Parts: sequence; C-alpha cells; structure tokens
Amino acid sequence: MTDKKENAPVLVIGAGIAGIEASLLLANSGRKVYLIEKTSYIGGNVIKFEEVFPNMDCATCMIAPKQQELLADENIELLTLSEVEAVSGAAGDFSVKIKQKARYIDLVNCIGCSACFDPCPVEVDNEFEEGLTKRKAVYIPCAGALPNVPVIDTENCLRFKGKECQACQEACAFEAVDYTQQDKELELKVGAIVVATGFSMFDIGKTSRYGYKKLGGVYSAMEIERICASNGPTQGQITLRSGEAPKSVAIINCVGREEKGYCSAVCCMAALKLCHFLKNKLPGLKITQFYSDLCIPGKAYQHFYQEVKEGGIDFIRAEVTGVSESGKELAVKYKTDQGKENTLAADMVILNPALEPGADSAKLAGMLNIPQSREGFFSEKEPDLTPVATAQDGIFIAGCAQGPKDIAETIAEAEATAGRILSRSG
Amino acid sequence: MGEGFTPRIVGFLCNWCSYAGADLAGAAKLEIPASLSVIRVMCSGRVDPVLVATALLHGADGVLVAGCHPGDCHYREGNYYARRRFALLKKTLETLGLDTKRVMLAWVSASEGQRFGEVANQFAGQIMELGPNPMKTKISL
Amino acid sequence: MAKRLGVYVCECGTNIADKVDIDKVLAAVRTLKDVVVADRYKLLCSGDGQAYLKQSIIEHGLTHLVVAACSPKQHETTFMNVCEQAGLNPYLFQLVNIREQCAWVTPDGEAATDKAIRQIRAAISRVHYHTALEKKGMECNPDVLVIGGGIAGIKASQILAAPNRKVYLVEKTASLGGKTRRFSKLFVNMESGPGLIEGEIERLRQNKSIEVLTQSEAEQILGFLGNFEVKVVSSAEDKEAKEQDFNVGAVVLATGFDLSDTKGLPQYGYSTLDNVYTSLDFEEMCLADGPTQGKIRLKNGQPPRSVAIIHCVGRAEKGYCSKVCCLYSFKFDRMLQSQLPGVKIAHLYSDLCIPGKANQKFYEDTRESGVEFVRSAATEITGGDKGLTVKYETESGTKDDLAADMVILLPAMEPSPDTGRFAEMLNIPQDDKGFLAEEHQLLSPVASAVEGVFVIGCARGPQSIAESIVQAEAAAGKILSALVPGRELELEVKTSQILESFCTGCKTCIEVCPYGAITFDEDRHISVVNEVLCHGCGNCAAACPSGAARLKHFTFPQIYQELKEVLR
Repeated sequence: MTDKKENAPVLVIGAGIAGIEASLLLANSGRKVYLIEKTSYIGGNVIKFEEVFPNMDCATCMIAPKQQELLADENIELLTLSEVEAVSGAAGDFSVKIKQKARYIDLVNCIGCSACFDPCPVEVDNEFEEGLTKRKAVYIPCAGALPNVPVIDTENCLRFKGKECQACQEACAFEAVDYTQQDKELELKVGAIVVATGFSMFDIGKTSRYGYKKLGGVYSAMEIERICASNGPTQGQITLRSGEAPKSVAIINCVGREEKGYCSAVCCMAALKLCHFLKNKLPGLKITQFYSDLCIPGKAYQHFYQEVKEGGIDFIRAEVTGVSESGKELAVKYKTDQGKENTLAADMVILNPALEPGADSAKLAGMLNIPQSREGFFSEKEPDLTPVATAQDGIFIAGCAQGPKDIAETIAEAEATAGRILSRSG
Repeated sequence: MGEGFTPRIVGFLCNWCSYAGADLAGAAKLEIPASLSVIRVMCSGRVDPVLVATALLHGADGVLVAGCHPGDCHYREGNYYARRRFALLKKTLETLGLDTKRVMLAWVSASEGQRFGEVANQFAGQIMELGPNPMKTKISL
Repeated sequence: MAKRLGVYVCECGTNIADKVDIDKVLAAVRTLKDVVVADRYKLLCSGDGQAYLKQSIIEHGLTHLVVAACSPKQHETTFMNVCEQAGLNPYLFQLVNIREQCAWVTPDGEAATDKAIRQIRAAISRVHYHTALEKKGMECNPDVLVIGGGIAGIKASQILAAPNRKVYLVEKTASLGGKTRRFSKLFVNMESGPGLIEGEIERLRQNKSIEVLTQSEAEQILGFLGNFEVKVVSSAEDKEAKEQDFNVGAVVLATGFDLSDTKGLPQYGYSTLDNVYTSLDFEEMCLADGPTQGKIRLKNGQPPRSVAIIHCVGRAEKGYCSKVCCLYSFKFDRMLQSQLPGVKIAHLYSDLCIPGKANQKFYEDTRESGVEFVRSAATEITGGDKGLTVKYETESGTKDDLAADMVILLPAMEPSPDTGRFAEMLNIPQDDKGFLAEEHQLLSPVASAVEGVFVIGCARGPQSIAESIVQAEAAAGKILSALVPGRELELEVKTSQILESFCTGCKTCIEVCPYGAITFDEDRHISVVNEVLCHGCGNCAAACPSGAARLKHFTFPQIYQELKEVLR
C-alpha cells in the first residue's frame, strides 16, 4: 500500500443518508471527501418522509444534526448540481471528471432569506412535491432543504430562455444572484469511490389498472408522504383533491412487483407506517390494506404490525385487479388467494410501488465499469462475502443503489464502505 | 380580565428540535408574538423546575418549555425527564395558588415551523386571557 | 482584570436593518456596565465582516463579545472561530438571534426593536458570567477486542487489524467459524459454507495484528471508549486456566445466535418423534463430517421420499420474524433435490419473506422445480408406522393433513446464551427478546448505548450472513473513524461537573444520566462526571437537589441572568 492510497481523498456519489453517513465517517477519520449530488439539495429521499417506521421518528429531525454536521465539516467538499462524466484510473488513483451545473446563486453571499421567490413570474410543478404544488423558476425544493440556497431552473427561467427578466436579482439585497455563473468541469483525484445514488420509484404510469393519474382519488405513496409532511403542499392536512378529508382509504401494495421481479423489502412497513400516521390524524378513517405476503422481518417489525393491526386496520390478502370510479367513490376490484372476487369502496387509494435503482444508474455503472444486476441495481463483487464491494477494486456501493432496503441497513452499508476504505488490511 | 397588558412570556427551547423549529418559523416569516422571549438550552431536560418557578416569581406571565417529541430527544431521554418534572411542577404550582395554565410543555420538532407558530400564538393568547401574573404584585425580589 | 464587552449588531443586509431600529438598539446597550464598544455592520458573516470583527476584538482589547445577528445554528461556529483567531476564548461570546426569532417574525418595527433590545441585554448580562472553556483531548488506545469468532467477528477483525492497531479475537469454543462453518451450502448462490469460512480463517490466521484466543472468555471489561481494561481467561482442556490482561479502545460484540427451543412446543414432536429435525440438525446431517457423512437419511437409514418443511416455528411465541428462514428453506430444497432427485417437498408457511433484488427469483426457481407451497399453519405432527403426518389449517379455516417421511422445522432465531452475560458486563440494554439493542435503530445500527461498544451479527437481531458482514464492516468503519492511532479523542467541551462541596451523595444525577457518564466515588461519597462520556445535556444539573451538578456554559447563574433581563 502506498501513501497515496492510504490518505487519498474519497469521492462519494449521492448525498442521501448513505452518502452523508459515509462522508461523515471518512471525514472524521481525517480523510478529505468530495460529496457530489445531482440535485440542488442534500438528504435524498429520506427528507421527503414526515415519519419513518418502526418508531414513527420524525425523519427530517432525525437527520438534521447529520446534515448540519456535514455542511460544517471542513474535510467534506459538497458539490451539488454535480454529476460524474468520466472515470479513469484504478484503486488508489482514480481520475474523475465532474460536471457541475451552475446554480446562478452565490453560495457564500446568499443568506437564504427567500426574497427572490415572490417576484419570479414563472410557476411550474414542484417535482419534490410530486407535482402537488407549484414552485418558481428560482426555488428551493421545500422548506428546510439544505443548503438553504435556491437554484435557477434554466429550463423554465424566462431569462435563460432569452426573455428580459431580472426580477430575482433585483429583489436580492446581497448580490447573490449571478447570471454570469458557468457550468464547471472539475477533475478530481481520489483513491476510492462510494456509489450511494439511492432509489427512485417504479413508474406507476406503466400499469393502467390502478387508474393512476386518471382518477382523482388515486395517489402514489410518495404523493401521500408529501401530503402528510408538515412542510409539504398541505402542511400535513390529509385531504382529497376536493379539500375534504377522506373517510376510507385502500392501500395497495406490490405495485410493479410483477414487472420488476423482486420484493422491495420496505413497502409493507411503509404502508403500516402510513396506516399508523393516517389513523392518528383521522381517527375515524377506515383503512384497508391489500397485500400478497407480509414482509415484516427482524426483531422490531412484527410488533409494529401488531400494534397497527390492533388500531383497526383491515388486511386483505388479495391481488387488486382494477380501480375504477363508482359514483363519488372508487371501486377497488380484487381477487383473493382462494380465487374469490370482490370489490371494496374507498374515497382514496394509495399505490405502494416498487423501488428501482436511481434513474442514471446504467450510465454510472458504465462509467465506473461495474456490473449491474438483472434488476438494474449495482452488483456486489461476492454477495455472500463482500456485500459493499464491487468488481472494481476501490469502488464501493451502499444503500438502495445496491438493492432495496430500509434506513438501518442503508446506514450500516454506508458505514461498511467507510470501514473498507479506512481499513489498512489487504 | 387582562385587556391591554403586555405580557412577558419566557420560552425555554431545546437546541436540537424546538429552537430549530422556531428558526424555521422565522424562515417562513410566520408571526410570533413579540411578548415571547426565547432562552436556548441544550435539552428540555436541562430545564429545572426551579428555573420555571423563578421565572414566575420574577413576574413572567407565562413560561413555555419546548423540546423534542418523545423518542426523538437528541440526548435519548432528556425530554422524558422534562415531562416528569413538568408534571410535578404543575402540582407544586397548584399549591402556590398559581394557575397551571401559565406554564406549558410542548413538543416541537426541527421541521415543525408551522407548529411552533401555532404553539407560540396559542400560548400567548392563553396568557392574554389569564391576565398579568398575580405574583408580580404580591412578591418583589 | 476589568471586563471589556463589545456588542455588534449585524444588519444582515436589509433582513434585520429593515425591521429593527439598530441605532436605537445601540443607544440602549452602549451605556451598560462594562460595554466599551457597540457598533453595527452590514454583514458580519461575510469575509469582510469577520475580518472587521477580528480587528475590533483586538483593537478594543475585548474580553467578552456579544453579536446580535442570525440564529446561532447558522453562525455560532463562524463567530467562535473569529474569537479564537483574535485571541479571545470562543466561549466568552454570545450570539443573539434577532433575525429568525425577531426581525423575521415581528411585523411591527417598534415591537421588534424592543424585543431585540431585550434579548441583547439578556445576552450581555449572561456573558458576564461566562467562563473561558478549553477544548479537551484524551489519548486513546486504538486496539480492539472482538468477542465471538463467527463470520461477523472474523470479518470485523480482518478489517480492523493493522500494524498500528491490534485486534484480540476471543472465541469461547476451540475453533473459529461459528454457525457458518456448519452450513454446507449458503443461499442464494449455493456456495460452500465451510469453504467460505475456512478461506477467511486462513487469511485471519496470517494476519500478525490479530491475536486469536480460542477456548477463551472475556471475564471482565471495565472502562470506556478509548480505554477499556480487559481480562480474558483461556482454558484449554489439558492446560491450566490462563489469564491475560490487556487494554483496548473499543469492544465489538458478535456472540451470534441459537435456535429457539422447539422441545417446548410439543405439537411439533421434536425429540419425541423420529425424523423431525430442526434446520440446524438438517444442516449437520448434510455436512461431510456430519453424523451421516453428508447423506440425507431417516433414522432407519433410508433416504426420505417426502419432506415437509414447517416455517415460523415459535414465531407466535417469540413475536418476530427471523428473516432468513424462508430463504434457507429454499436452499434446503436444492440440497434435497440434488441428493435425492424426485423427492417430494412441501412447505407449510404463512407469509413468504423474500425481500431484496435476488431473492424472489430464488423462490420462483424453487417453485418451478416442483416444490409445493401450502399457505397454512402446522397444528400438529404425529408419527406412525407409515411415517409422519402433519396436520395443518389454512387461512380460510380448512383443516387438512399431509404425509411426510421427514419433517424439517424452521425455528425462530434467538440471541446466543452468552449475549445476556456480556450485555450485563458492559451495561448494554437488551430488548424484550434478548437481542442487544443498538444505539439508534435507524441512524446507528451497530453502535450500542455504551460508547465504544459495538453490536454486530445475530446477537443484535436475526439476519443473513451478508448483513452480518455489513455490520462487521460498519462497526470497523465507526472504530477506524473515531480511534485514530496517535490522535487524541476530542471531547465535548460543555460538559457537566459536580462540585464536591455541594454533593450530598444522593445519586439522583447517576439515575438520570442517559449516557452512564456519572459514577459514584464511594470513598468521597460523591458523584463524579466522566467528561469523556458526558454529552452535555444538563439533566443532572436539572435533577440535582443541591446545585452541585453544573452544566458548563448553561449554569443556573448564566441562565438566570438571561431570564432576569427578558422579564424586566
């Protein structure tokens, strides 16, 4: 082992909780870390959840100290709006080309006062909020997103489309809006790489049977998570699109499971969490869960299931064959294990989709020259012996980039990558 | 009773959750009563009942203690102790002849800016209704 | 020395200046006791602002600093660094929040100004009572003790060991390898368990930084992160018991699992009927060095023609799902089919637990090979001349039974019996099922409530080999990050301390400390805070009836000063 390998900086790709945890451990040991993140904010998917199972912890409160620690850590260089363009070299001596998109807001001058939002004349769907609310062309995705510095969406900004407009710049008292910023190309020399690019949800639009995006009462789990969020589009008020609270909810699990060919590990528990949360908010709410096999492994999960069940949730083991409109309500048609067909009426239907690898996984796998599994996740070198190592020496994977899993396992994998990188054994 | 008086309300906010929640309320430009003065502590468990009593004896019209939701305490259990102390404190205040509605224990998380606003305004409204702290005229320190 | 206080109000561009009448604020505080300078600045957190502040501290010879600006959560560290650079102890400083909690939330300018004045006066009063605090470091021992020589303990030892970091791997039995060594095949790739583990053991043995102590047990572990004193007793059969004492900086517990007792569930006929086996029994049978040299046989020496596999044995009693049983039962299917082509296999199960990218395919392939799956609960197993009969009930209430030559039970996994002993020795909480508790179920899955002690593998919960390895590497990651050879451990500055003269020895503080950071000195009959473990929450200070326990930087007098001013 040369000195170079032992003390070389590390590149962590993805600033969700896996990337954050790995970065913190590595930085604490004295290593320099480049943490690159595709979006303008850190926290990944976890910050979209109001509460997480099994203890109904407040997700944002839970990771806030880690986010603060990350932003303050002198050993960690956070590069948002950045993606890997090319990788060459080998363990101990990688050369990584990064493209960093311009934010057009100065990270140092901006104090996060949000004065630039109001004057912006452009309004588009807010992707973070699953399109349930709008944002401006200069925006932060949600209240509390970090770093607390907006970004200009050049695809929708009038100025960047050739029109005259400097409303945001005029509103800023700190000279933080800088239209002259340019995209940057950086070349980083690192000794190891951690891939922590997380997950995205199965595109429910690929199946037509649930009436998603067609029927007003049908929601995806992520949309409901945002509706539950106290910093979300409804400030945590559970309402249908009419503004009224639902009286009955049907949660449909395993959406996309057949198409994807695997069990996404966390959905049963996520659905139980939603039951717990919704029942708390609307005590009279009738909730029915449709599922195939209850996946509640480990020492803590069954207890949560029992608690939720005792709260008065109905569980129906069945395959949902269709969701249609039935007067003012929705009709959920299903077929049980024994082949019996039936229909359940509900105001609101929540679809719980499969977890997939992040959108750009294939591209990244190609650049890093690491194999992907049949399902598109990054592959471990030896699943039974090296769960966070890849076929490429010096490149590690952690979290949902490697396969669907819960937060605890994600953190453990992130810490494991740090363990392997910091290890001075062979 | 209590029209047109300017209350003095003290809020002990824990560094990790409620103080951050109050900051978030600020970032959202919510309206928080000017009568509320915040004292930052590391944990709601630091708040000694003697501190609360001292505040009341010094003329505070209301005392708010805010911490992390049970289970979320940054120091694991601090807020549980805060809860227990608060229950005992309320009993003690009763014997002193003080309205227990003058003290409030609330759980506000770091992402609950909205909720902090609600808690602060609701409490301030409550204090306005109760009127000035009778201790102000009875005891001078 | 006379105090010289400086008060600086940040305009924060227009954010504060637009709402708060800063000149009025300055006028109100300029004349207070010991305030030698009070001024305003456009943006104190900027490079220029910080330089200005540093210069001012030096120029005015300030002994204390108050800055009124944004939230301490934004820039407390920034300004503390400025103090340090200017030669002023960073704890002789107070940051007043007049932005997020004043200017931004108070629509009326006059009210906002009044509030700002009130809070700044409070800070000025408080800072008078601040004391200089110094950063503390502690020398730490980077070595590690690993208890348990199974796959988790082995992997942890491998990753941790280095020329400047010794690992002591203590194993109770005579050989390393734990349970993995006794699995002839591993799911999903059906590789050899003994093959895998023996390769790892060989690598381990060659590592000169790892001292392996088999037939040994840790009898005593005292201390804390960076400094544990360990006593290990080794007792080989024909030798005298040998004691070894050494110091380590961290401890990793990897004491593994056992299967729960199936004898206590008489309906399954385990140990009363022939040919009813637990999964571990079956694993033993399939090993080349097992009781039948690896041949799957009934008691009468014949190979079974039909096998029933019963899932979730003991699940209702234990109250949790053991996670890996469904998967290893499919492994059993392959082992049976490979040795006994044509064997009929039926699974009785409640819910299939096959999470993860590779496992559904493993199940589907199994099913396609002709294995039968009956969603049901096995209610009773009886034996007779013709073999075993398994009575079961389906979810819809239908009662039926099936015949099988052999029954394999999949019992719940529980923590090994030693787990409790170490939990007690190290003061680590166990959950109500006996598993070692993690520090935080989600955010800190391998650390324990005791700093410096880590919990990995099945001792902390039923899981697969891959997950145990992840945790072993994770614990290593945490240790390698925290205990760097030659580097001092940075300790919390704002810790609690207990004044001997005030302490009555009531021990209330010890009870309320979430970190076990307070111990009792029997000789002096007082409580003592271990500043290495103290996190500075202040619960002890709040609980102490005599005022002996004091939280630095949040003492009663300091808070009282703030209180007094805001209530004026």
